[in-house]
Amino acid sequence: MRFLLRRFQRLVIVMAAVTFVTFILVNVLPGDVAYEMAGMDASEAEVAEIREEIGLNRPLPIRYLEWVGGVFTGDWGRSFINEEDVWHAITQRFPVSIELMLLAQVMALALAVPMGMISAYRPDSRADRIIAGVAFASVSMPSFMTGLLLIYFFSLTLGWLPATGYEPLSAGLWANLKPMILPALSLALVEWTVLMRTLRAEMIGVLQEDYISLARAKGMSNARILWGHALRPSSFTMLTILGLQVARLMGGTIIIEQIFGIPGVGRLLIHAVYTRDFIVIQGCVTFFALAFVLVNFAVDIAYAWLDPRVRQGGKAHG
Amino acid sequence: MADIAAHTKSAASQSEAATQDANAAAIAAFEKRNRMGPFMWLPIIWLCIVIALALFAPLLGLLPADEMDFMALKAAPGAADGHLLGTDHLGRDLFSRVIYGGRVSLTVGFAAPAIGVGLGLILGMAAGYYRGWIDDVVGIAIDTWLAIPGLVILLLFAVVFGGSLFMVCLSLGLLFIPTAARITRAATMKYAGREFVLAARAMGASDRRILVKEILPNVIWPLIAFVLIDIPIAIVVEGALSFLGLSVKAPTPSWGGIIAEGREHLESSPHIALIPTAVMFLTVLSFNLVGDTIRRRMSDVREGAI
Amino acid sequence: MGEIILDVVNQRTAFPTKRGMLQAVNGVNLTLERGRTLGVVGESGSGKSVLARSIMGLLPRAAQTGPGSSVHLNGRDLTALSERELRPIRGREVSTVFQDPMTALNPTLTVGAQLIEGLRHHLGMPKRAARARAIELLRSVGLPQPETRVDQFPHQLSGGMRQRVAIAIAISCEPDLLIADEPTTALDVTVQAEILDLLQRQVRERNMAMILITHDMGVVAVRCDDVAVMYAGRIVEQAPVRELFQRTRMPYTAALLSSIPRITDGPHRRLDAIGGRPPDLIHPPAGCAFAPRCKFASDPCQGVMPALEGDERHRFACHTPLQVEAVA
Ligand SMILES: Nc1ncnc2c1ncn2[C@@H]1O[C@H](COP(=O)(O)OP(=O)(O)OP(=O)(O)O)[C@@H](O)[C@H]1O
Ligand SMILES: [Mg+2]
Repeated sequence: MRFLLRRFQRLVIVMAAVTFVTFILVNVLPGDVAYEMAGMDASEAEVAEIREEIGLNRPLPIRYLEWVGGVFTGDWGRSFINEEDVWHAITQRFPVSIELMLLAQVMALALAVPMGMISAYRPDSRADRIIAGVAFASVSMPSFMTGLLLIYFFSLTLGWLPATGYEPLSAGLWANLKPMILPALSLALVEWTVLMRTLRAEMIGVLQEDYISLARAKGMSNARILWGHALRPSSFTMLTILGLQVARLMGGTIIIEQIFGIPGVGRLLIHAVYTRDFIVIQGCVTFFALAFVLVNFAVDIAYAWLDPRVRQGGKAHG
Repeated sequence: MADIAAHTKSAASQSEAATQDANAAAIAAFEKRNRMGPFMWLPIIWLCIVIALALFAPLLGLLPADEMDFMALKAAPGAADGHLLGTDHLGRDLFSRVIYGGRVSLTVGFAAPAIGVGLGLILGMAAGYYRGWIDDVVGIAIDTWLAIPGLVILLLFAVVFGGSLFMVCLSLGLLFIPTAARITRAATMKYAGREFVLAARAMGASDRRILVKEILPNVIWPLIAFVLIDIPIAIVVEGALSFLGLSVKAPTPSWGGIIAEGREHLESSPHIALIPTAVMFLTVLSFNLVGDTIRRRMSDVREGAI
Repeated sequence: MGEIILDVVNQRTAFPTKRGMLQAVNGVNLTLERGRTLGVVGESGSGKSVLARSIMGLLPRAAQTGPGSSVHLNGRDLTALSERELRPIRGREVSTVFQDPMTALNPTLTVGAQLIEGLRHHLGMPKRAARARAIELLRSVGLPQPETRVDQFPHQLSGGMRQRVAIAIAISCEPDLLIADEPTTALDVTVQAEILDLLQRQVRERNMAMILITHDMGVVAVRCDDVAVMYAGRIVEQAPVRELFQRTRMPYTAALLSSIPRITDGPHRRLDAIGGRPPDLIHPPAGCAFAPRCKFASDPCQGVMPALEGDERHRFACHTPLQVEAVA
């Protein structure tokens, strides 16, 4: 319980800092929002009017506190461009991004765990080296390139899966999943390598533990030893990485949502960037940061579930 | 029982001869692992070519990267005279565009990690040496920095500062600060307590002198390895930014930008997107392979030295 | 003569290292009958654990087993079997207790889960029956409150309790041979005797054979029927306990015997009483490996490897054995 409290304290400090930095960047640095909104050939008077209207003339600290207060009460402001409520805009699109990220992580794990095991089972074997080579190629291919290649092969050449689009879950599970496969795969094909390498490294160590020898001495099959005995104690670091990856994944979804035309928060952010819709940008950044910090919080809890020693209040690796 | 003993004895003398061979074989197996294979020199050759082409691009008599050839729109590689790799949808020569695009990618690839690791070095040394409130502030700043996805930070910077090559390098460089600072901080703390530092201080050396003369030479090595990993990352992230149109402004070509333009014509003329994709992939892969090998060597050397 | 359970012939095990082949076990012959306990003693690094692992077939992948080595368990040559063919034998016919109960149990699985899987795998017990049997086994090894302990994780148990669990796992499928590799070294002195009692009782009750690896000649004297003394990967003297203690021939054994810890010694005293360093196993000396440290060593000792010779009961490898009165 104590360690949860400490994590929570940190969470608050970091969030305060994140909102502050975002606010400063968007509001103080060059490029006055009012000019952007008024358009190229607006007169000074028109600009001044807009400033007054959206409250840009009041002192900065007040505006910051007002905005932060709003963040807590669900009032994240309204888009300068189309008047849409920012909180509503984000929460409406969020589930789509979540689905994409979850699917990507599941695919990444589905690749990483068996591959990591095969590699760790016989380090330096031919299989290990082939997997390492594939992983090398895989990380050297950023998701936007992978996405493009996947579209080229699976949509344009083979015509198996759609290149763009999104269907809500209400249209049926398969209809919903179908257009998500390629985008999720684009992300997974980058992310799996880190997971695989972490698992491999840790599992090589675990496989030399006495309790693995004991499992072998009990006559357990290799599959049972790897999945039943070695996987759990080998996945602590991988789980932490999985949480840390969410940050990268969120960056990844921005670009992937753009390529595949998926209406998630990333696309909202990019659109806001293109139209210089500052209040939406501010909202999205805050949201991403909040989501990220919360995910890491959740990872800590999952950690405690994985390692019974942490549950007892002790340390992870004692 | 006696024959078992005899058996043992003859096997022992027999194995004597075999031992020599086995020893040699075992040692050879350990050495083989450290040999330099094609996965080292092929990437090096590729990188030399790419870097040389980018560096000397203006001297090569290439077609201007933004000159449109309306007689050859979307020409496939080899299909139109004078366009080795074909042309894009505006008839611009892809060979020139990819080479000039490489200048942007490589500049960012080298400059951003240098900036980031440099700043991280200063922050990490300050935090690790002075501790106290400096350490706290740096710590919180890093946590905050890490709490925002990197690409989001870059988007924010792109909006606020616009897309000059300098700003792209700088904002991308900022992303590399946290890890560099952490590594430096840990190393600095380790060395700050060592005898040679204490001795220097006892002899009245100033903090600045201790930091530069005593600590810097020790903490800089792990960071060099770090720069090696960062180069391909910087190239990839710049690619992503320019793919989104948020890096250097058009019409300056960049790999990500050409790929993004080619995406619109993926069905009719896949080569426009696929050629820069292949070039960028090979370059990033080469940097990764070379970096990995050098890093492994460096850790071998350090292990051997102990 | 009882039924022979284990017959090890000319076992050699080597590890490739950066400096060359490390010959950890170098031509060991052993036989073991049902109901008997063989003590294996020797300094640290003499190859006891590697020998045990060679018998179980649990060597690291890099390890190389010499040609002509064989391990017969219940008449079957284990070295000729594949990993898959070994599976029904491991845990069922031969099982093991490791030195450190802190590392020998999986920290992420409950005690019960680790016990039950063997019962289900080897004896095909249904889940419920296996669980009941697990509790029964835990009770038989003297674990208090077995009904609650069965669902606990290893870190919730003390070292002694963990070793009891490890023993319960080892005996769960009624093996014919139990190999205990320094089962008490990592434990408090106060529990050491209890654990050894437990092992001895289980072996007797279930009529198993046991190999008890130890540093401690004192333990050998009380707990074993036969002794094999190992040095530099070889057995250098082998005899029934009483015979070995009364008519020690090998100077190395004598040195070990003189180092039996007294009550006044600290709990974790090792066999460091013998002067000099253990030999290099990669480039072993040509003659007797103990010669450089032996005060009786003569010329042939330096140049010629002594063979393990003697009668059926008492064998030793020495050119200059200690003199004893002829057996009456
Ligand atoms: N996996 C391995 N790779 C290389 N050498 C090894 C390996 N395992 C054991 N050895 C070497 O084999 C020799 C015998 O080791 P072993 O563990 O059998 O000794 P031991 O008699 O059990 O010692 P202790 O009393 O300390 O347990 C040692 O020199 C050891 O370094
Ligand atoms: Mg041992």
